[in-house]
Amino acid sequence: MPQLETPVSPDIVKGMRSRMGNVHMAWSFLAHLSQHNRTLLLASSVFATVIVLLLLTPWIALHDPSSMTLSGRFSGPSAEHWLGLDHLGRDVFSRLLYGGQFSVSITAITLVIAAVVGTLLGAISARIGGAVDEFLMRIVDLVISFPDVLVALFLVAILGPGYGTLILALTLTGWTPFARMTRGLALEINAKDYIRAAEILGCSRTFIILYHVLPNVLRPLATIAFLRFGHKLITVGSLSFLGLGVQPPDTDWAAMLAEALPYLDRAPFLVLIPGLAIFITALSVTLIGQGLEAHMDEKMKWRHDNK
Amino acid sequence: MWIFILRRLAVLALALLVVSFLVFLIPYVGETDPVRALARARFGRLDLDAAAIEALRIELGMHRPLLVQYLDWLGNAVIGDFGNSYMSREPVIEQVWSALKVSIVLTLAALGFAFAVAVPCGSIAALRQGSAFDSIIKSLNQAFVAVPEYWLAPMSILVFALYLGWLPSAGWRGPESVILPALALSLRPMGYFTQVMRASMIDVLNSPHIVAAHSRGLSIRRTLIAHGLRNAMLPVITLFSVWMAGLLGGAVVIEVIFAVPGMGRLVYSAIVNGDLPVLQAGLVAIVTFAVLINTLTDLAYTVLNPVVRFNNAAA
Repeated sequence: MPQLETPVSPDIVKGMRSRMGNVHMAWSFLAHLSQHNRTLLLASSVFATVIVLLLLTPWIALHDPSSMTLSGRFSGPSAEHWLGLDHLGRDVFSRLLYGGQFSVSITAITLVIAAVVGTLLGAISARIGGAVDEFLMRIVDLVISFPDVLVALFLVAILGPGYGTLILALTLTGWTPFARMTRGLALEINAKDYIRAAEILGCSRTFIILYHVLPNVLRPLATIAFLRFGHKLITVGSLSFLGLGVQPPDTDWAAMLAEALPYLDRAPFLVLIPGLAIFITALSVTLIGQGLEAHMDEKMKWRHDNK
Repeated sequence: MWIFILRRLAVLALALLVVSFLVFLIPYVGETDPVRALARARFGRLDLDAAAIEALRIELGMHRPLLVQYLDWLGNAVIGDFGNSYMSREPVIEQVWSALKVSIVLTLAALGFAFAVAVPCGSIAALRQGSAFDSIIKSLNQAFVAVPEYWLAPMSILVFALYLGWLPSAGWRGPESVILPALALSLRPMGYFTQVMRASMIDVLNSPHIVAAHSRGLSIRRTLIAHGLRNAMLPVITLFSVWMAGLLGGAVVIEVIFAVPGMGRLVYSAIVNGDLPVLQAGLVAIVTFAVLINTLTDLAYTVLNPVVRFNNAAA
């Protein structure tokens, strides 16, 4: 088990465990953890700020993201246009906010679908076992051996570019870590006495999966979701960058970056800004994931030591 | 163990068969009608009458049952005949072969660099846990993993090609043109490699054989070089092969930005141009390599590591 940089004392963990029964909201849980972990606190606040800004877009973005002021092309930051204008004279700040909505929402939708599909398949695989389990795990092996970008390219070749293709492609490659994790945890849980008790009481497989297995794997899965988010955000961006994702007049961060690329020597700022947005968002979510993971490791270690 | 190897090879063959069938189906379900695309390539115009299209369809053998066509296509594919490109009208296999060579060079350069940095940095971070070096390495890794390559690449072009003028900004001529794309490609794997190297080195440092060697009076450095490093590197080597498989066709963005004529760009331009034979051959080549590398890694692990061998024999 990897060692922790900021050890949490057993007392804190104990107090947290007793309180956790009441605290179901993810954010308050994060806030609670953040009290003992400065990186996590910083990362959560940055991510929360990004989300709030994106939610408030209609009120903060003062300009239409696609209205052009050709006379002001490449003009720098001003009181009217906070981040200046791009190569077609569009307000960069407004485009950044509207683009961010696409980048972050596509990533989130993909992750949720992938998590649901992966978790169910993993739980079913562990519960039924035998040939079904073997078959599903070989499919996981197969899917893992494809680069995500390539699967997306393949689907774009068949279905054409767009929002739906993007989500479908990233879901197809994204469910595997969730399936593996759930299967592993479910196999552990299946061996527990309370599952045997439920079986003896005559509970159906579906009931056992829904009421005994799933609640126990939720927190590790949330951790994986956070850890995968940054990677997904970057992958969604690669496809938009290649012109195969979000189609104009809509835009997202990577599409903005791709549009500005021909003017790299003239206006590097236009490439820098959207890339920085992706980087900061991806980094903050990854750090949240790592904070949760460290907490989970510590909790398991503590339980193990006190057995 | 032989049963395990045979089973892995059977899975490999099955996987390739499934993928080849999916790839074969692209022209039948895709947006580009292969007959019209070929007609355009051959006659240079789109407004052919229905009879001519039908004649071409029969000439291509596309009126036959799907399964017969698949077996025919597969037979040709096995001997490397994927037909001619719609664009260049040259045999596809030659294009794929030259792109594959470029991609292998680029991927090995990027991953080799990542590996060369990750092994010492990860080891030292593990030896000095909690030190300033450890926390700097950790922060850098976290940042590296979150950097999108389509941002890093233009930024490195800006600095090293446009401002400083040290390196060419794009193209694939000579060793100096490999540096920037390989560097841009290596950052994310470097972050992952170093994290895994650190964790694995910590595990090894706590293992009994290291403690034993150390307590017999061997210095820390000798202990690590003689006993620790090899064991600690194993997970990183696995990760290396996973990334190798992924980047051979997955480095699309970097290859497009730097105009590197590799596999990723080949498949991307085949999609954009509707060049179906190139697309099919490219996808088959990438998947074959990816699955082959993964299987070889598993097999090498089984043969080399007694613990894994025992577990697999029992399974």
